[in-house]
Amino acid sequence: MKQEDNWIFALKTDDLGNGEKKPLLLENNKVLVLRIDGDFFAMSNKCPHMECPLSKGTLEQYVIKCPCHDWRFDVREGKFLDAEEIRVPIYETKVMEESVFVNLNMEGAGK
Amino acid sequence: MDNEKRKGQLRTMFSKVVDPLGYKFSPDEELVDFLLEQEVNIEKEKGSPFCPCQGLTGEREHDMKLVCPCIPFHREHYDAMRRCWCGLYVHKDVKDPDSLPQISLKEFLEAKK
Amino acid sequence: MKKVVMYTLSTCPWCMRAKKFFREHDIPFEYTDYDKADDNTKKAIREDCLAHKSEMSFPFVKIDDDVVVGYNPDKYAKLLGL
Ligand code: SF4
Ligand code: FES
Repeated sequence: MKQEDNWIFALKTDDLGNGEKKPLLLENNKVLVLRIDGDFFAMSNKCPHMECPLSKGTLEQYVIKCPCHDWRFDVREGKFLDAEEIRVPIYETKVMEESVFVNLNMEGAGK
Repeated sequence: MDNEKRKGQLRTMFSKVVDPLGYKFSPDEELVDFLLEQEVNIEKEKGSPFCPCQGLTGEREHDMKLVCPCIPFHREHYDAMRRCWCGLYVHKDVKDPDSLPQISLKEFLEAKK
Repeated sequence: MKKVVMYTLSTCPWCMRAKKFFREHDIPFEYTDYDKADDNTKKAIREDCLAHKSEMSFPFVKIDDDVVVGYNPDKYAKLLGL
């Protein structure tokens, strides 16, 4: 069933430089917002392995590496590079008037 | 935190990880409980729940592939056995885990050829 | 009598079953728990495993010159002529 969109203000575009990331608490969801090559991405901040905060990991282009046990995920689709069936929930983003919004009701998004 | 509680937490987290890979916890409850207990102790000592049945070398790149569940890094081998090396996890359709032998990586690779 | 040497981990249930197998068949064996060993022993075990083209998956059982990786009572029995 398609859920209603639920666009939540996350941050100002100026708050993040390219290659930077920031953990946020949006309506009780731990969300990681990232900026890569000018585009904004949002995903759950909890690693699907043991829930470590991905915000403390390292980002290289579109791949984020969890600080705990080095599992690597593509931030665009949330896929775990070593087993695509495992995913980090991702959220849609949009920019309006220098503000970044995250759609918390995206399909596949979890808490 | 007491061991029982941590065992429960690992069980919850790991079942979510192995489920999309086609695995479940072994129906051999005694084995599962024993292995989780070992993992909790290993986690206390080393910081991560490393595999109770495979050896660490101290090199991060090697050892991180042996944090439970290590299935993603040994997928083909474990799929061929229909269980992980320790037998903590088995393919979802497995009812009699004792019937699944351990096949060494070397034998597996030779059989593949 | 063939010489049985085993590398094991103190945390591995299949290592325990392997030991039990040899005990039940009254076959003497030596074993080293890799996780409890000192650094030099660890290194030697690792090299021995690599020499047999094996990962450090335990139990690692040597019966004279033959190696069985894993708990495999049928293979143990065959190599020992049981
Ligand atoms: S072999 Fe099984 S128990 Fe051991 S780390 Fe891998 S998945 Fe976990
Ligand atoms: S918690 Fe992220 S890799 Fe283990």
